[in-house]
This record gives sequence, C-alpha cells and structure tokens, in this order.
Amino acid sequence: MLRPRPRGTVRLLRFTPVTRPQNLHLLQFLQFSSLPTRSAPTPSVQPDSSDRVPLRKQLKQDAKALKAQKRQRKESEEASREIWELTVGVEIHAQLDTKAKLFSRAATSTSDLPNSNVALFDLAFPGSQPEFQAATLLPALRAAIALNCDIQPVSRFDRKHYFYQDQPSGYQITQYYEPFARNGYVDLYDHDGIAHEDGERIRVDIKQVQLEQDTAKSQEYPPSSQLLDFNRVSHPLIEVITMPQIHTPATAAACVRKLQAILQACGAVTTGMELGGLRADVNVSIRRREEAPGKNHYDGITGLGQRTEIKNLSSFKAIEDAIIAEKNRQIAVLESGGVVEGETRGWAIGSTETRRLRGKEGAVDYRYMPDPDIPPLVIGEDLISRLQATLPTAPDQLVAQLTGPEYGLPIEDAKPLIELDDGARLEYYQDVVEALHSIRPGQDAATRAAFARMAGNWVLHELGGLLTKADRAWDSEIIPARSLADIVDHLQQKLITGPTAKQVLAVVFEGDHRPIPQMLEEDNLLLRPLSREEYLALAETAMAQNPQMVEQIRSKNQLGKLGWFVGQMMRTGEKGRVEAPKAEKVLRELILGKA
Amino acid sequence: MSLLREAERCLANQHAHNLNAFITPLSRSGQWLDRVKEADQRSEKGTPKSAVDGRLISIKDNICTRQLPTTCGSGILDKFTSPFNATVVEQLEGAGAVIAGKTNLDEFGMGSHSVHSRFGPVKNIRRDSAGHEISAGGSSGGSAVAVAAEQCYAALGTDTGGSVRLPAAYTGTVGFKPSYGLISRWGVVAYANSLDTVGILGTNTSSVRDIFAILNHHDPRDPTSLSKSSRSRILSQLQTSPLSTRLISKPLRIGVPLEYNISELTPSVRTSWLLSLAHLQKQGHTIHPVSLPTTKHALSAYYVLAPAEASSNLAKYDGVRYGTRGDGPDGNGQPEGVLYSNTRGTGFGAEVQRRILLGTFSLSADSMDNYFIQAQRVRRLVQRDFNAVFSAQHPLFDARGRSDEAAAEAEVDVIVCPTAPSSPPRASDLSSGSKSPLDAYVNDVFTVPASLAGLPAISVPVTVAEPGRDSGVDAGTDGLAGIQVVGQYGDDELVMSVGELLAGSRLSEQ
Repeated sequence: MLRPRPRGTVRLLRFTPVTRPQNLHLLQFLQFSSLPTRSAPTPSVQPDSSDRVPLRKQLKQDAKALKAQKRQRKESEEASREIWELTVGVEIHAQLDTKAKLFSRAATSTSDLPNSNVALFDLAFPGSQPEFQAATLLPALRAAIALNCDIQPVSRFDRKHYFYQDQPSGYQITQYYEPFARNGYVDLYDHDGIAHEDGERIRVDIKQVQLEQDTAKSQEYPPSSQLLDFNRVSHPLIEVITMPQIHTPATAAACVRKLQAILQACGAVTTGMELGGLRADVNVSIRRREEAPGKNHYDGITGLGQRTEIKNLSSFKAIEDAIIAEKNRQIAVLESGGVVEGETRGWAIGSTETRRLRGKEGAVDYRYMPDPDIPPLVIGEDLISRLQATLPTAPDQLVAQLTGPEYGLPIEDAKPLIELDDGARLEYYQDVVEALHSIRPGQDAATRAAFARMAGNWVLHELGGLLTKADRAWDSEIIPARSLADIVDHLQQKLITGPTAKQVLAVVFEGDHRPIPQMLEEDNLLLRPLSREEYLALAETAMAQNPQMVEQIRSKNQLGKLGWFVGQMMRTGEKGRVEAPKAEKVLRELILGKA
Repeated sequence: MSLLREAERCLANQHAHNLNAFITPLSRSGQWLDRVKEADQRSEKGTPKSAVDGRLISIKDNICTRQLPTTCGSGILDKFTSPFNATVVEQLEGAGAVIAGKTNLDEFGMGSHSVHSRFGPVKNIRRDSAGHEISAGGSSGGSAVAVAAEQCYAALGTDTGGSVRLPAAYTGTVGFKPSYGLISRWGVVAYANSLDTVGILGTNTSSVRDIFAILNHHDPRDPTSLSKSSRSRILSQLQTSPLSTRLISKPLRIGVPLEYNISELTPSVRTSWLLSLAHLQKQGHTIHPVSLPTTKHALSAYYVLAPAEASSNLAKYDGVRYGTRGDGPDGNGQPEGVLYSNTRGTGFGAEVQRRILLGTFSLSADSMDNYFIQAQRVRRLVQRDFNAVFSAQHPLFDARGRSDEAAAEAEVDVIVCPTAPSSPPRASDLSSGSKSPLDAYVNDVFTVPASLAGLPAISVPVTVAEPGRDSGVDAGTDGLAGIQVVGQYGDDELVMSVGELLAGSRLSEQ
C-alpha cells in the first residue's frame, strides 16, 4: 500500500531521471531504494522540519509494523504446523524450601556470605559421609502429591558422575534408577495460557519426580577467573520430568508456569524462575505429519523424530522462544535434506537461534551407580496420607472455587487473585469476604455471591490501583480486611456512594486507622438521600446550562450525553449525596419524558 | 614395665628400623609424653581409662587425624591434613590411647603388598630363610609391620578385600576385620564404601579384642553404621541358647570349604591349614567339609565392584578445594577446559589409575550390565553361600529362602581356612615387573569372600614346628603362616575366640 509521502522523500525523485506520475515514481523509488547497488540515498536527505513525522505517529507506525511482523510469524508458524508435528518434553529443577541441605546439616541460603554455609561433606572432604536430612522429604512429598504422583514406598539414591568445578565430589547424588515418585500428571487449561490449538484443557503426564543435589554457584570473570560459592552445593532439588506430550511452544511455557504455580501453592519451593529457584530443560523433536511415524521413542512414547535437548532455560519466554527457534532449525535441517543430530543445545536470552553445546560423540556417560553410603529411602503410608490431608488447596481447585457459585468471580479476576503476592492477596480477599458475611449473617446465596464479587473488584482493582499509584508492595495491614469489608458493606447497603467509598479507601490507605463507621460519622460522609424535589431542582439547573445538548439528546436520541448532565448534578449537588442512578432517572424523565 | 618405658621403646623402634612403616612417625617429644605419664599415674592408682590407656596405637594413613597429615599414600594428598578426626581416632584418644603415627599403605588402600605408595614401599621385618626381603602384605602393610616390629602397641588398618588380614598373615601378627557396619567409617577415606571396614592389628588376640570393644559402637555420622537397636537385637540372639553355648558347653563345628583347596595353594600353606584343623580337633571340636560354590567368582566380582566404587569415590580429588595440584597450568588452557587432568595424572599412582579406569569402564553404559550388575549378583550369591553353611542365621536377612534342605546340610559355627594361598613373595619379584598386576590380585582370593559378605574374619599366625622332610613345607620359609577364621555376621566375638585357640600355636605333625 502506498501512502502519501512527506515532501522530503519525494525529492528523492531527482535520482530517477524519468518523470512520471507521482505515485509511480514513488513506487519506483521504493523498489530502487531496496537495491543494494544504489548508494543509499537516505542519509543525504534532511527532511524539512515541517515534514518531520510526529513521534506519536512514528510510534503508531512502529507498533503496526511489529504487529504485522507478529501476524506474519504467526501465519508461518501456522503453515509449518500443518506440515510438521512438534513434540516437547519438559524437565524442571526446583529448589525445595528446606532449612538444611540434602545431605548435611548446613543451612540452605541464597543471600548469605559466599561459602559460609558448607559442611565437610558439601565440599567432599576425604572421610566425610552424607547425612540425609529427613525434613527435606516434606516439601518433596508435597510436590509429588500436588502433581498427582504415586509415591514409591522405597526409593534409592544414585551417583551421576561428571567432572566440573561446581561439583565437588565429581558426582551428583540423584535418584536415577528408583525415583521417589512416578506417574503423575498436570492439567493445563485455556486460562493457563496454553496454545489455542490445544483447546480448553490438556493433560501432561509426569514420568517421575526425583530428589537430588544442587551444584555450587560459579561466577565467571573472563578471561581466566571463576569464583565458586559452595553455599548452593547440595541444596535439595526436585527434578520433575514430563512425558514428551506437548505439541506447541506456548503450551510448553504454560506447562512450566503451571508447574511452578503448583509447586509454590503447595509450599514445596520458595522462589520461582525469576529468582533462579527453578530452571527448565526441554527436549524437542519434529516429524512430518504425513510421513510414517519416526523411529525414535522416548519414555515409552513411540514414533517420534530425533530429539535435541535445550538446557538451562531461565524464563517462560525463553522456553517458548527457544522451542520455536529449535523447531524451525530442525525443520530447516530436514527440509534441506539434512539429519537432526541428537545433541545438547543452549539458548541465550534475546537470541534467535539455539546454540550447539555438545553432540552425540561428546555425550557424557554419567556412569550411574547406586550410592553405597546412603540407605534406601522408605516412605510410610501414614506420612503420605498426613501430608495429603494438610496440603493447601491446589491452584486449579482455587480457580474452580472462585469462579463457582460461592464467589462468582470472572476468571480474569480469579487468576490474579491466586497468583498475586504468593497467595497473600487471595488470603486477604477471603478475609474480606468472611468479614462481610459476619457483618451481614444469614444472607441468601445470591447476596453472598454479590458480596464476594464486589469484594473481588475492590481487593483487586481499587486497592490494586492505589498500590500501583503509590508504588507500594503488598501488605495486608495497609487496609485491614475488616475496614475494606465495612466500606463494601456500606456501599452495598447504599449508605455511601461509590465516589465516597473510593475516597474513604484512599484515606485509610494514607494511614487513617479510625474504624470505618466512626470515620463516616465524624467526617459526615454517610449518604443522606436527596428528596425528589432536590433532584428535580439540580437537574433543571444543569439543563439550563446547556440547552443545546438537551436538544441533541431529544432530537438525535444521543443518550450518551446524559452522562454530562449527571456529572453536572454531582458537581453542583452536596458532596457525596447525589446518587448517579437516581440523577440519571430524573434527567431521563425531564428530557425524554419517560420514567 | 611402665607405660612410659613401653612407649619410649616403641619410639626407639620406629627410629631404629628402616622399614618405612610410617609416613608420619611419632615425634620424639610432645604432648603425648605427658599423656602417657598421666596414664601411668592412673594405672598405679588402679583407675586406668581403658585397657589401652597410655598405649601407642598406629593409625593407617587413610584415617583422618587433625594433628597429623592424612596422605593416603598418594601424591594428590601428600601435604593434606584433615580438618577433623575420624570417629575411631576420637574413640581411641578418649580411651587414653596415644596416636603412634600414621602408617604407610598402598595408595588409598589399593594393593596387596604395600608397594604402591608415594612414600615408597613398606618393608617386612621378616625375611625368608635365604635372607631375602619379602612382601609385608597390603594394603595395611605399614600398620602390620609397625606392630610386628614393636613400633607401637597395636594399629588400625582398613580392610576392603583383605587389607588387614593379608599383611597380618605376612608379618606374623593378628589382623581382625569385624562385621561391616560395626566400626564407624566417619573419617575413613573411602576406597570402596560398601566393603571398607576398619580393622585392628595386634600381637595377640586379647589386645585386638580390647580395642574392638572401644570401637564397636554406633556412630550417627556414619550412615552405614549399624543402629543401636540392631546391635542389641544381635547381642540378645547371641546370648540365647543355642548360640550362647558354643565353645562354652558345646564343642564347635568347624567348616572346611572344599573350594578353597585350590591348585595355587602352596604345600606349606596347605600343611599349616591341615595342622591347624588337627589342632582344633584335638581340643574336641569337629571338622566338617562345606561347600561355598560361588567362591571361584568372588575374586572377579570383587575386582569389578571395588574399582567401580573407587572410580566414583576418587572423583573428588581434583586439587581444587584441597590436595596437591600438578605443576603448571592444568587442562588445555581453554576457558571450558578442565581443571584436573594434569593434577589427577600426576597425583595418582599407576595402580590407582588402573583401578579408576577399570571402574570407569565397568560403570559405563555399555558394560554396566555385563560387569557391575553381574558382580552384584555374584556378591549376593557369595552371601547366600555363607548363610547356607552357618548354623547361626544372618541377623540382618530374612530367614525366608533358607530351605530346610540347606539347613540339614552340615552346618558349622565358623570356617577355618588359610588367609593367603602362599607365603609372602620376595620383594625383588614384586619390583622386577616380571609379574602382572593380576598376580597380586590372586593373594586376595581367600579374604575377598568375607569382605563381599560383610562377615567378621580374623587372621592369626601359626607356626609349623620343625619342618621336616616329610612336612611338605617349602625350603626358604620359616613355617609361619596366617590362618583365617570367618564367622556369621555379628559373630565377631566367636571369631576372635577361635582365633585365640590358634594364634601363636606351634603346630607339629606328631
């Protein structure tokens, strides 16, 4: 599409010798300017100041271009999806929320002075032995239960050997042959952000969950220095391995996000990906849909193409981007007649391609061996059932609860309530609802749901708005739950107007801790309803200010303009006493002549 | 003789003999003198802390001591001092004993002649009748020689496949390997954890028994240490009839494993075995042939399993956090290069490198099933063999699977057999390079089965008196041999008692 150009650009026509109708010349310029043989004309041209593209316009154009680019990418993704089937499996490593390390009494820490929390065994001192910390089992078991796994009555620890300076003993203790949990699953819903093609819900099976040690943290100081912090060595981790059952990049990212949410909700982990408490590896393979099934099989799933592994992805976006890039790389390899090699690849944030780390010939033989010093882990049924009974409600159940008849929240409100502030926002919300019910006991279900919906709006949007504006972190003490319940209740009972309610909330937010009823009384904020006569008088005053608009409403039925008159009435009337619905009703009567 | 005089005599012996038994000998002066004097005072008052109060006990140099270096006989730890004491060291010092120094060994315990040490070979105080130097046995050769040369009262060694019993047999001392899990391994540098056992070397069984009593306790820091409840369960079984009557009111049934009568057995060893059995028979005990059919695979299984664990355990020595680094820059100089190849290449001796490679191979994905897994199966069978012949049941195993048929077979209280198939080889034969490393492995053939099964075993010296023309004793030996007693798991006291019946006996065919 050709748009009229600023004059400065048009002057470029001088470079084209032939004179033609302007539009054609423009077309020609556009073509020429893309020819590399021609010296680029742009730098020689300084547009007149009057021709400068306004910034706003520029931004708009850029946004449009980006959108077009995205659309194009989406279309080409769609096109390749029809030919190629992508298969992805996910492995995540999550740091468990424990006081001690997995095999020593040294404390776990993320912020302490480097190398201040290290036991002899953590540094692999000769003659030191592991001391399994039974308490680390609790968060691990909670995770496995939350992921619907079968907890194994007996599991064992194995050594996975490889040399690296962040691995003091030359091996990592993990559970390779007999993990403590198997055969779980995670359900992903459309509101979890799965790809459109995956419909409303998909289930991803979890092959196993295993306990293992973290490595030391190394910091590189190129060209030749590396500093090692052994505080992290032997921090308990769980590794969660899904089956290769995911077929879209977005769903893979959603899967990791969901796993993180579940692990956080059940109290198994402390921090998420953004703080390095969770890392993900993905394995990626493709196969042509019309061709016979591939000859590779992983974890019992057959017919797949050769897969590659992408290690150490540290954000949800990185997961999605890396999978897209790797999938496209594999497609390009196969389309040009090549063969996908089984190899390990890496991904740098912001890049467009995965990078080969090591190939099959460089594959590490980990020489897994049962650890002869560590007895088998025997987990009793009583412990499992006790943990099951005390497990916090799972995110999916919370969503169902909040969007169900009891609370009646829209999914757009339910999700952030659950996700914000590590669940503190939800807890606060439930406190507010409970307070509302205790203020007005014995209400019917519909009223209770109305309370709950209203409270959701106030907790999330009104209070959230104040927090954002003031740039303050969440703190349930800023507005005591009881105070917010009182505000909502007064509003619901029509004892105050909406604007008053917002005003009161802001006052409490600023630190006024008087009980709400007392504040409303003392500050004279309670609604004293206006009489019909007073409304009529206010309406007539407002109409007299703008008779033309009254006429427009009458003749052109421009009902939207009623709002202006409502606003006038609110402004001229006594503060906090004019109720918008009543004002509008009177206006309709006077202007349109109907009740 | 006062404890002080005894200690001073040991010290003098340490410096007089050039046997290379110690890597770190006792210093001539020091705090230890006061400790011995204090023990003398307690002894005079009749209030000694223990049977070893004020006595010098040597510690094999793969057992951690805070005061003295712990080198494991390796170049990679040649200047290493541990930041902590092993539990056994704490126990001995708590009982009033004084550490007599750190004894020489095959590097990390890997060897049968104590010649694979960065600090040079250990020399046996004995010579053969032709006056040639002979092997001290290994890997606890330094500890055994220190005891034999009276450089200390007793010594601790470690026994993974025979490393206490073999040098005991070669030096004419008593070497005891208790049941696995009874003595703490905290602070004992791992060679093959599932087999490593702290052992005790002494001139007689009573000193060994005294020291065992001090060390035989549960240690929460060692995850493989037998729990207190298991210990008391085993003890109450042993104190109940019929087990409690053995040797006290009932003669013993002594087992002779037929499979141990191998062609490699030298005539002199066979003679001392036969005379030992006869000696026991004379005391009223009965001799019964038994079959331990898996024995012939035990040695192979051991030399798969022990190197496999060793390759894993020794992966920690990279010179990064402790230990000696190789000269010059390590790795290939590339940023992603390794920090350890040169360090490990120069720090480890040839035998250690051989076993690391062996273990790395047998654990690799392609050979795991054929080697490591197979060897574990053999280990299970070896255990089963022993359980089938002992009248006492294994206290840690389910009694199920033990058929009546097996029970009806000749059941025995202990097994008596040679410790080694031959008398000590000449030192010159070991260093000449004429023998392959595998020849050394054969010396462990009789000691390895008890290690694989975790059973208590003791080697005691017996002497065949007046070796005559007809005795079959080889020319060139003095008639001294090590005889081994093996018992059921937990039967450590009985094993020591039977050892006592034989120890120091002069046996003759008359």
